[in-house]
Amino acid sequence: MDKNQILDAVQTIFRDNFDDDTLVITPDTTAQDIEDWDSLEQINLLTAMEKKFGIKFKLEDVRNLNNVGDILDLIARLSA
Amino acid sequence: MNHYTLSRLQVGMTEEFTLTVTEEMMDRFYAITGDCSPIHMDAQYAAGRGYPGRVVYGMLSASLFSTLAGVYLPGEHCLLHQVDCKFAQPVFIGDTLTVKGTVTEVNETFREVTIKGQIQNQNGKKVVRAVIKAGLAQ
Repeated sequence: MDKNQILDAVQTIFRDNFDDDTLVITPDTTAQDIEDWDSLEQINLLTAMEKKFGIKFKLEDVRNLNNVGDILDLIARLSA
Repeated sequence: MNHYTLSRLQVGMTEEFTLTVTEEMMDRFYAITGDCSPIHMDAQYAAGRGYPGRVVYGMLSASLFSTLAGVYLPGEHCLLHQVDCKFAQPVFIGDTLTVKGTVTEVNETFREVTIKGQIQNQNGKKVVRAVIKAGLAQ
């Protein structure tokens, strides 16, 4: 799965999670850009990604995620 | 009260408790929330809508998931994150409800447990279903 495919799948997860079919994310998107992206939604997003990509995040993986790009890089690394 | 820690929780674990809904509970729920909808307050009105009595507040039934998580599963170390409920059947005063939870996921990274919750009445009918997510203190 290449980066664009990962981005598409992650975007679907964001849209499902925030109930917004028009939501468009980019690697630069941060929690500041999405009103409801708080710490609880961060857990919901990441656990949905674990299921989607068949991966398991560790605490040190998720501690320093600053934007969507960091999440995409992490998924690419763990699913390689 | 139970005191399950994250490391002791496993998929498939279950806990349950039973209680009977009383008029006093309905009165107290109204006093707290101010929900004076006639479906909950007026037996005659409820009969006109085809119910055998006042319909118990859905959120009163759902509040039992707070007890399930905070007292039984996982108990003391719980902090509720999320409760998604479906109110499948009406509940009436005098119904005896069995509230049951089953652990479906344990996420150690996020210190969060997912519990499938259900409430059955005395006839074995599922009246409320829920997915409950709870964090656990260290």
